[in-house]
Amino acid sequence: MTSFSAGLKRSLAIALAGVSMFSVTAASAGEITVWAWDPNFNGATMNKAAEIYSAANPDVTVTVVDFAKADLETKLQAQLASGTTDGLPDIVLIEDYGAQKYLQSFPGAFEPLSGAVDLSGFAPYKVELATLNGQGYSLPFDSGVTGMFYRSDILADAGYTAADLEGITWSRLIEIGTDVKEKTGQILMPIDPNDAGIFRIMMQSAGSWYFDADGNPTIADNPVFKAALKTYQDLIASGITKPVAGWTEYTGSFTSGDTLATVTGVWMVGTIKANPDQSGQWGIAPIPALDGVEGATNASNLGGSSWYVMSSAPNKAEAIDFLKTVWGEDADFYQEILVNQGALGSLMVAREGEAYSASDEFFGGAPVWQNFSTWLGQIPSVNYGIFTNEADAAVVAQIPALTSGGNIDEIAAAVDAQVRQQIQ
Amino acid sequence: MSNPIALIGRTATYLLLVLAAFISVFPFFWMMIGATNTSADIIKGRALPGGALWANMVNFFTSVDMPRILFNSFFIAGFGTAMTLLVSSLAGYGFEMFRSRFREKIFGSLLLMLSIPFAALMVPLFIMMANLKMINTYQAIILPTVASIFIVFYFRQATKAFPHELRDAARIDGLKEWQIFLYVYMPVMRSTYAAATIIVFMANWNNYLWPLIVLQTNEMKTLTLVVAGLTSAYTPDFGVVMVGAIFATLPTLIIFFLLQRRFVEGMLGAVK
Amino acid sequence: MGVGVAQSGLARKEQVSGWLFVMPALVLLGVFMIYPILWSLWMSFQVGRGMAFSFGGFANIMRLTQDPVFLRALTNTLTFLAIQVPIMLVLALLFASALNDSKLWGRSWFRTAIFLPCVTSLVAYSVVFRSMFAQDGIMNQMLMGLSIIDAPIPWLADPFWAKVVIISAITWRWTGYNMIFYLAAMQNIDRSIYEAAKIDGVPAWARFWYITIPMLKPVILFTTVISTIGTLQLFDEVNLITQGGPSDSTLTLSLYIYNLSFRFMPSFGYAATVSYVIVVLVGILTFIQFLAARDRRA
Repeated sequence: MTSFSAGLKRSLAIALAGVSMFSVTAASAGEITVWAWDPNFNGATMNKAAEIYSAANPDVTVTVVDFAKADLETKLQAQLASGTTDGLPDIVLIEDYGAQKYLQSFPGAFEPLSGAVDLSGFAPYKVELATLNGQGYSLPFDSGVTGMFYRSDILADAGYTAADLEGITWSRLIEIGTDVKEKTGQILMPIDPNDAGIFRIMMQSAGSWYFDADGNPTIADNPVFKAALKTYQDLIASGITKPVAGWTEYTGSFTSGDTLATVTGVWMVGTIKANPDQSGQWGIAPIPALDGVEGATNASNLGGSSWYVMSSAPNKAEAIDFLKTVWGEDADFYQEILVNQGALGSLMVAREGEAYSASDEFFGGAPVWQNFSTWLGQIPSVNYGIFTNEADAAVVAQIPALTSGGNIDEIAAAVDAQVRQQIQ
Repeated sequence: MSNPIALIGRTATYLLLVLAAFISVFPFFWMMIGATNTSADIIKGRALPGGALWANMVNFFTSVDMPRILFNSFFIAGFGTAMTLLVSSLAGYGFEMFRSRFREKIFGSLLLMLSIPFAALMVPLFIMMANLKMINTYQAIILPTVASIFIVFYFRQATKAFPHELRDAARIDGLKEWQIFLYVYMPVMRSTYAAATIIVFMANWNNYLWPLIVLQTNEMKTLTLVVAGLTSAYTPDFGVVMVGAIFATLPTLIIFFLLQRRFVEGMLGAVK
Repeated sequence: MGVGVAQSGLARKEQVSGWLFVMPALVLLGVFMIYPILWSLWMSFQVGRGMAFSFGGFANIMRLTQDPVFLRALTNTLTFLAIQVPIMLVLALLFASALNDSKLWGRSWFRTAIFLPCVTSLVAYSVVFRSMFAQDGIMNQMLMGLSIIDAPIPWLADPFWAKVVIISAITWRWTGYNMIFYLAAMQNIDRSIYEAAKIDGVPAWARFWYITIPMLKPVILFTTVISTIGTLQLFDEVNLITQGGPSDSTLTLSLYIYNLSFRFMPSFGYAATVSYVIVVLVGILTFIQFLAARDRRA
C-alpha cells in the first residue's frame, strides 16, 4: 500500500467519522424503542412497564420517544408510505380508529402477535379491531370506555342525584340540562364544533358505525346515524351547550366549572383529577342512550389505543417478549397504572384486582373503576374500517348546516356524498 | 408647518403609527406575560403578570434537553444559512453578470418553480432521503433548502446595483472570476448578505413540516418541533409553552437586531 | 449564440464562468426540486390508495370537479388571497409613506416595531394567537372592556371568525416585511419631484396617488406576486392555529394536500393533482399581474 492510498484511506476514515456524527446512533441490541404520545399518560405507563421488565431483564432498556399524536400519525404514515424501515421504532402506539387503516394500507409492516401472546384474555372488541385475516396484531392497551362526567355538587343544587342520571336517554338529558340551566344559570356541556367524537360515541352506543363490515358507507340510510345527527341538533338548539375551540378550551371548560358535564372516555379521569380541590364534587354516570333506535345502549367507546410491533423492528423478539410479559400477563402492573395514570387496561383478569374495585373519593365514593369495567363489557363491537378520518371530516363539514337547523336527511346525504368521494 | 390641516395630518400619522406599533408588539408582551403565569391562569385568559416564571422555566428545562435541542436548531439554521447564502449568491451573481439567452430562459423557469407548494414535494423528497439512508440526519433537512430560488432572485436583483467597473478593474488587475466574487463582490454587497441572512436564518429556524417528517428521535429535534410538540400534548402546560415560545423567538430576534441597519441598506439596494 | 469574431476567448471564458457560478444551485435544484416535481407530475396521473398505484389517466382531474372538499379548500384559499393580500399591501403602503418623513420623531423605533412580527418564530406566534383569541382570551376581554361587543366572540369555533383570525394573523406577520420594501423604494424617489409638485399646489393625497404609486410600481408588483404565491401556498398558520377548521372553513389547498397524504388514507396521486392546481393558479395570477402592470405604462 503506497503512502498515497494510505493517506486516502485515513482521510476517508476521518470523513466518515465526521459524517457519522451527523446521524443518530443505531439502536443497539437490547434497546427497545417505543413511539407514543402523551408522556403523562401513555408514556408514563410504558415507562412503568419498562421498569418492571428491566428489573427482570437487566440487559434490556426501553426508550419512549414522545410525539404529539397527530405528528406521530403523520410521521408513521409518511415512513410507511415511503417503504423505508430505517428509523422506525420497535413498538408503536396506534389509536384504535386507525388500526385497520394502517394494517390494510401497509401489509407486512406490522408483526402479528396472536401467535406469541394469548389475546383471549383481552376485551374482545379490542382484539377484533386489530385483527386482519384471522391474525391479531395489537397488544390492546387502554380502553376508551365512555362515561358521563358531571359536577355532582351543582346538579345536586338543582335537585338531581346520581340515580336521576342512570340509564337515561339523550332527550332526558336535554330536559335535565334545561332545568339545571333555569335553576342555576349554568350551561351543561361544552361542544367542539370541529370534533366528531360525540357522533362516534352515539353511533357505537347503538352498535353502528359509518361503515359496515365490508367497508361500505352506511350513512345516508342509517337510522342510528340520523338519530345521532338529530340528537346533536337538539342539543345545540336547547341552549345547554357551549362552543369551544380545540382541546385545551374543551378540557378547560369543564375543569374550571364553566360547564358542568361532558360525555367522553375514561382517560379523561387524569385531566379531571388534576384539580384536587374539586375532590368529591364529581360524579360519573353511564352515557345517555339514543332515542328511538333499536339496539341503543348506555355504553360506548371513545378513543383508546393499542401497542403494535413493527415487522422491521431491530429488536423484535425482545419487544414481543416485553409486551407479552408485562402488558400481556402482569395484572399488578395494571393496578398500578390505573391508580397512577387512570389507565383502564383491557386485560380482563386485571379487572378483578384491588384497584379496580376500589371506590374513589374524588367521585363521591363511587366504585368508579368497577363501573367502567362493567360498561367496558357492554360496549357494542363495531368494525372501525379504514376511513374514519374521512368520515369524521365529512360530518364536521356539515356541522354548521346542522347547527342552523338543516334537514337531517339532506345533511346525511351530503355527508354520504363526501365520504363516497373521499374513499375512492 | 403650523397650519391646522397639517397638524391634524401629523397627529393622524402618529396615531396610526402608534396603533400599528402597539398591535405589532403586543403579542410579544402577551408571550412574556404568559411565561410568568401558570397554565390554568393562561387558559382563563389572565392578562396580568404572575409569579410562575421560575417554575415554568424549571419545568421547561427539565422536560426539554435544551443544550442538544439548541445545538440542533443552531446547526441546521446556521450551517444551512451559510450554505444557502453561498450557493444562492453565486447563482444570482452568475445570472446577472454573465448573461446568456439560454440562462435567461433557465432563470425564467426558476421563477415559475417558486409556485410549487412544499406539500407537493414532501413525499417524493422523503422517499429520496429514505433511499439515501439520510432520514434523521441534519443533511436531510439542510440540503433541500440550500438552493433557494427566492434568494437567487434576491441576489440577482441586488447585483444589478453592483457596478461593472469594479469587476472590469479587478479583471485588469489579473484577478480570477472566483477571486472577484470573493474579494470584490462579497464585501461590497455586505448589506444584501445581511438582509438575506435574516430571511434565510428565519426560514430555516422556523422550518416545521419537513423536520417533522424527517427527524425521528428526541435528540435530533429542533426547538420549533419541540415547542409545537409541547402545544399539542394531552394537557399542555401553557406556561412552559410560552417559555419555549420565547426561547424559540429569541435567536431570530437577536440576529435581527444585530443586522438591522445593514438589513435596511440591503433592502434599499435590492429595490433600486 | 452569435458565431464569429465575437466569440473570442474572453467571451467563451465568460460562458464557462457563468455556468460555473450557477451550477451548484442548478444541480441542487435539479435534485431536490425538479425530480420531486416530475415525480409529482407522474403521480398526478396515478390512482390508488397507499403505495398501490395504477395508471388512472385523467381520473384525478375528474375527481377534482366532484370533490366538495377541494372546492371548499379552493374557495377558502382564493378568499384569503382576495382579502388578505390587498389589505396587507395597502397597510404596508400607508405605514411606509407615514415613515417616509425624515422629520418624524421616533422613526426607526416605529419601523423596528412594525417589522418585529416578521422575525417571530412561527410556532411561537401561532400559540400566542391561539391563546389571544381563545374564548376567554385577551381579545375578547379587550373588546368587551371597550364595550365594542357585549358577548365573547367564539373566534376559533365559528367558521367566519376563524377566517378573520387567520387573516389577522397573516397580516400581522407580514405587513412589516412589505413595508420595508416600499419604504426602501420610496427613499429612492427623488425629493425634487415632490418639491416641484408642492410648489405647483398639488395636495398631499394627489402627490401620493400620482407620483408615489406609479414610481413604486415595480416594487408593488414584486410584493403582490410574492404575497400571492405565499398566500396560495398557505399552510403553517392554518395548520397550527385552526387545523383547517372549524368545519373546513380555514382549509387551504396546501393543507388539503397534506391531509390527503398523511392524515387520511393516503391518496398520493390525487394529492399531486391538487398541488398542480396551485401551480396553475399561481401561473395564471402572476401572468395577470404582470400584464396589468405593463398595460398602464405610458
